[in-house]
Amino acid sequence: MARSVWKGPFVDGYLLGKADAARASGRNEIIKIWSRRSTILPQFVGLTFGVYNGHKFLPVQVTENMVGHKFGEFSPTRTFTGHAADKKAKRG
Amino acid sequence: MARGQILMGVIGRPHGVRGLVHVQSYTADPASLARYAPLRDSRGRTWSLTWRGEGVAELRDADGVPLRSRNDAERLVNTQLFVDRAQLPDAGEDEFYLADLIGLRAETDRGATLGRIAAVHDYGAGSSLEIARDGGGILIVPFTRASVPEIAVEAGRAVVVPPPEIEARA
Repeated sequence: MARSVWKGPFVDGYLLGKADAARASGRNEIIKIWSRRSTILPQFVGLTFGVYNGHKFLPVQVTENMVGHKFGEFSPTRTFTGHAADKKAKRG
Repeated sequence: MARGQILMGVIGRPHGVRGLVHVQSYTADPASLARYAPLRDSRGRTWSLTWRGEGVAELRDADGVPLRSRNDAERLVNTQLFVDRAQLPDAGEDEFYLADLIGLRAETDRGATLGRIAAVHDYGAGSSLEIARDGGGILIVPFTRASVPEIAVEAGRAVVVPPPEIEARA
């Protein structure tokens, strides 16, 4: 069953304060979080979070398309890196 | 294989009795493996590949002669296929081949060595570089201009400026 709309999206409260502080500082810093369950809110757009996957903190650069998803979706706990071959990475 | 050789795929089991083989392609678009010719194996033989079905290919040797029988195909099982790095098309602006990035020496902007780039991650939230530190442990930085301002593939080095981290815990 889906979450009731009247509750609003779930987010651990302390993330909001940290996000505000990071935005106010204006520095390019990574906010390390363990809260994989928190929903990505519009006020997180543009910030970079390091989301713990049980092993390491993977950087998650929040964009508008990610709003409504959970942080944990972008930091998989089981990974297969595969082969490089002709794969490319774009510098953001 | 030399560093200039890039692993693009592996020949798998035979398919049928007419010399077709299964090929596991490691390229970003599996079908694009056929565009890279010649493919070279670890014994120096060259091959060209034509897809005949999903994951099934016909291989031709340097003379253009295809494999004729299942026995020929069985001899190639687990053969790795490489291409020269120079065969890959130029990457776009601010794009880098993973094969170029992995293994680069990571340095600070003052020239101190941090380690080597061990992996490149991308799980839908921007790419990041995993750096294996010389003293053990890992460092992961976002693959952005701010964090990786300079990449010199020919020189084998990348300048990395690890961003400051703050912890958010309940």
